[in-house]
Amino acid sequence: MAVTMTRGSSPRGANAAARLLVRRRALITLAAALGCYAVLGGQLVRLALRSTPEVRSSMAEALGGSWSRPDIVDRNGRLLASDVAVNSLYADPHLILDLDEVIEKLVPALPGLDAAELRKELSDRSRRFVWIARALAPRVAQRVLDLGLPGLAFRLELRRAYPLGSLAGHVLGAVNTDNRGVAGVELTLDRSGLTQSAQGVARTTQPPVRLSLDIGVQHAVADELMGAMQLYKAPAAAALVLDVASGEVLASVSLPAADPSRPSDWLEPDKADRLSGGTYELGSVFKMVTVAMALEDGIATLDKIYDVRQPLMLGGYTINDLHAAGRPLSVREVFLHSSNVGAGMMALEAGADRQRAFLARLGLLDTMHTETGLIAPPQTPKTWGKTETATIGFGHGFSVAPLQFAAAAAALVNGGRRVTPTLFARKSGGDAPEQLVSPATSAALREIMRLNVTNASGTGKRAEADGYRVGGKTGTAEIPGRGGYQEKSVISSFVAAFPMDAPRYLTYVLLFEPRPTEASREHITAGTNAAPATGRIVARIAPLLGVLPRLVAARARDSGAFDAPTAAQ
Amino acid sequence: MHRAINWLLALLTLASAFGLYAVKYDTRRLEAKVQAQERALEKARNDVTVLTAERAHLARPERIEPLARQYGLAPISAKQYLRVEVEGHAVSAMPAR
Repeated sequence: MAVTMTRGSSPRGANAAARLLVRRRALITLAAALGCYAVLGGQLVRLALRSTPEVRSSMAEALGGSWSRPDIVDRNGRLLASDVAVNSLYADPHLILDLDEVIEKLVPALPGLDAAELRKELSDRSRRFVWIARALAPRVAQRVLDLGLPGLAFRLELRRAYPLGSLAGHVLGAVNTDNRGVAGVELTLDRSGLTQSAQGVARTTQPPVRLSLDIGVQHAVADELMGAMQLYKAPAAAALVLDVASGEVLASVSLPAADPSRPSDWLEPDKADRLSGGTYELGSVFKMVTVAMALEDGIATLDKIYDVRQPLMLGGYTINDLHAAGRPLSVREVFLHSSNVGAGMMALEAGADRQRAFLARLGLLDTMHTETGLIAPPQTPKTWGKTETATIGFGHGFSVAPLQFAAAAAALVNGGRRVTPTLFARKSGGDAPEQLVSPATSAALREIMRLNVTNASGTGKRAEADGYRVGGKTGTAEIPGRGGYQEKSVISSFVAAFPMDAPRYLTYVLLFEPRPTEASREHITAGTNAAPATGRIVARIAPLLGVLPRLVAARARDSGAFDAPTAAQ
Repeated sequence: MHRAINWLLALLTLASAFGLYAVKYDTRRLEAKVQAQERALEKARNDVTVLTAERAHLARPERIEPLARQYGLAPISAKQYLRVEVEGHAVSAMPAR
C-alpha cells in the first residue's frame, strides 16, 4: 500500500498541497493500523509466554467437593494422619433405567444401606446427583462396579486416614465426611487456613504439620496407663509428659480413648479429653503451689515449723489431716506428709490477696489455649474468703484443667521460667521465657519433691524409678458430689519431674475414681496407685527420651544432692 | 518485480498457515501427553500416600510391641546401661533409638 502511495508523487502545481495532505492521511492510517497489529501481536506473544492456569469445570465435580489437608506427623516425622484417595459411589437418578433392580442388587452389596431411604432418594428423577455411599473399601467398590448398573458411578475423593488408630486420638481430633476438621488439631488446621477446597483428588502442597508428640513415648504412656487403669480398677485415666524447657507436650493420653476415624466419639462425655477438656479440684498436688508461694513471698523457709496438731477450724468447716502427725511439722514435713492443716495454715498466713496474685502469676487464673483450642477455663470461688484461701492451699475449692496445672508445676521445677504448653513442634531458640519464681524457690521445690520419693515417710515413695531420680507430689482429691465431698470417690494424681537434679520432663498422671485393689494395698490414695504408675511410666519413657539412669557403679563417686540412697533392687 | 514479491508473500502466508496448523496439532498432542503424564503422576502420588499410610499402620507401636516381646525384646531397664571409662573420662552408653 505504501508503495502505491509513494509512486510518482512529485509535487505538481496546485495539486501538490492536496497530494501532500492525502499522503499524510494515508501515513497516519497506516501507522494506526500497524500500531493495532503490534498490540495484537504483543498480546499473542504475552499469552503464549505466560502459563495460564488451567481452567477446568464440570457439573459433577462441583456437586461434591471435598477438602484436602496437610499430613500430620509426630516430632520424629512418623505419620499420624494423611489424605488417601478413596472411591465414593453416587447415582444419577435421571440415568437409572430400572429403580427396582438397582435397589435389589445394591442393598446386599453395600452393608448398612437402607432400602426405603435409597428408594426415596433415587425416585426424584429431576435430580442429577445423589451420594449413595462415601469412602468405600476397594473390594466393595469393585463389587458394586461388577453389578454393572447404569446410572451409578464412582468419584475419587480424599479421605483422612489415621494409621495409628486411636493413639493420640484426642490430640488429632476428627474430620467430617467432607474432610473438614471438627475437633482437635484437625479443626485448628482448618481455622488457620492450612486446608483447601479440593476437586477430586487434587492434593494440597502444604508441608506436613509437625506435632510435639513423640509416638514412642505416647504409646508407652498409653500402654502403662491402660495397665494402671485395670490394676486399680479406675474407669478413666489421663497422663501427660511435658518438656519443662520448651513446653512441648510429648505425650497426651486420656482414656477411654477417642478414635479420630469415629467423630461421634467426641460427643460421648466418657471419652472427653480429661487433660484439657475438663476442670477438676486436683487436691494435694496444689501444695506445690502453696509451698512455692510461701517461699517466694518470704513467709516461710523449708525449716519453719507449723503446729498441725489441732484441726483447722474455719467458719463451720474443720480441716483434718488424713494421718495426723501428732507433732509440729516443718514446711518440708508438711509437704512430705501432705498435711492439709499445714498447707491451710501457710495459705492463711499469705492471705487471699497474695494467694490470688501468686496463682495469677503462675497463669492458673487465665483461660489458656493450645493448638487444639481453648482449654477448659479454671473455676475460681465466688467469694475468696478465709475458708477458700485455706482450702485452695491444699487444692480444693478451685478447679483447673490438668494441662494448665502441669504447665504451672513445670515452671516451678524448671528454675522458675514460664512454660507455655504447645502441641506443635517448637523450633529451638526464641525469646527467653519470663521468670515466674526465683531459681532458689524452684531449687527448694525440687529438693522436697525428690525427698518425697526417697524419704521413707514420703507419700510418693512408690514412684521411684530405678536410677531416673523421680521427684513428685501426690494428690488424692475427693470428688464433690451430692451433699459434700465423697470419701470413696477420688481423683488420684501424681505430678512428677525427672531427672530431679536438672529436670527435663514433667509427668502428670491422673486416675479417676480408682477402687481399692490388692495392687494398691486396698487404698485409693495417690501414693498407692498414681505414684507407682508414674514410676513405671518414667522407667519406660526415660530411655526413649535419652535420659540416662544414674548408674549403680557410679553412684559412690558422683552421687548428686538429690540422689537416693542405694535402693534394694 | 512486484508480482514476484506478491507471489512470494502469498506463498509465505500459505506456508505460515500450514506451519501454524502443524504447531497447533503438535501442541494438542503434547498437551494430551502432559495430561496423561499428570494422571500417571497423580496415580503414583496416590499410591505413595496409600503405601505410606499402610506402612505407618503396619509399624504402629500397638502392633510392633507384642511382636517385639514375642522375640524376647523389652523396654531397656536401667540395669542394662554400662558405664565405660575412656582415658579417665566417664562415658555413658546411650541406647540406640
